[in-house]
Amino acid sequence: MLEPVLFALFSVSAVVFAFNVVFRRNAVHCALHLVGVLLSLSGMFVLLNAQFIAAIQILIYAGAIMVLFLFVVMLLNVKGEAPLLTPGAWKGFGFFFALIVFVELLYTVLSQGGTEGTPAAAVPLPPGFGSPAEIGRILYSTWLFPFEVTSILLLIAVIGAVVLAKRKFA
Amino acid sequence: MQTLSVPLEAYQLVAALLFTIGLIGVLVRRSALIIFMSIELMLNAVNLSFVAFSRQHGQMDGQIFVFFVMSVAAAEVAVGLAILVAIFRNRETANVDEVHLLKG
Repeated sequence: MLEPVLFALFSVSAVVFAFNVVFRRNAVHCALHLVGVLLSLSGMFVLLNAQFIAAIQILIYAGAIMVLFLFVVMLLNVKGEAPLLTPGAWKGFGFFFALIVFVELLYTVLSQGGTEGTPAAAVPLPPGFGSPAEIGRILYSTWLFPFEVTSILLLIAVIGAVVLAKRKFA
Repeated sequence: MQTLSVPLEAYQLVAALLFTIGLIGVLVRRSALIIFMSIELMLNAVNLSFVAFSRQHGQMDGQIFVFFVMSVAAAEVAVGLAILVAIFRNRETANVDEVHLLKG
């Protein structure tokens, strides 16, 4: 009965860290709490037999992307926003809208999902589920074309980032 | 460990909660950096949902999709932060309310 305990631990820490991401004043604190969210989610991925995804979650997200974030936060030296939560009409609207979306999501999750329904029990897992070898086999057979398109996307992103961040802009 | 001892709905609830927190961040915060981080939060909530469904159905296509979401997120962060740096260089601000040149 280790799995429910770990699930509770990871979910509570993910949600607490997420609140800190959104409601902290200092952008560096926000970025570090976002790393906490990513690590908690990576733990949940391991619970869900997605070991490879958990590993690249730590390597790419918590490693590369968050370093980029911290680098830009420190490069820009942004001053904290004026009061974070002033009672303004627009912020009230934001909370209200988010509440509506949450209720909607809750309804979708808890309702039984129309005619199709959910499968009665979890199906037995094929051997090697979530392992890098299995992921690679599917990625380079069924999903080969999307994979190649992704490489072009990343190339475009690299060129775009260099062009945008150059000193002589446009 | 063939069956899920934690029900799928529990994972979906955590994903919904994380998504909503990220949505609050996008709607309420005014610093473009924090808005980017909130978008990452929402993307991760969706990733959790994908992986949970993938585990439930015993098919790895959901995990492949998470892989693609991550690479698109990396591209988005690189370009978005470059735009942010360019804006900050020209306008000395990262507040999205003060960047309204296109508003007309």
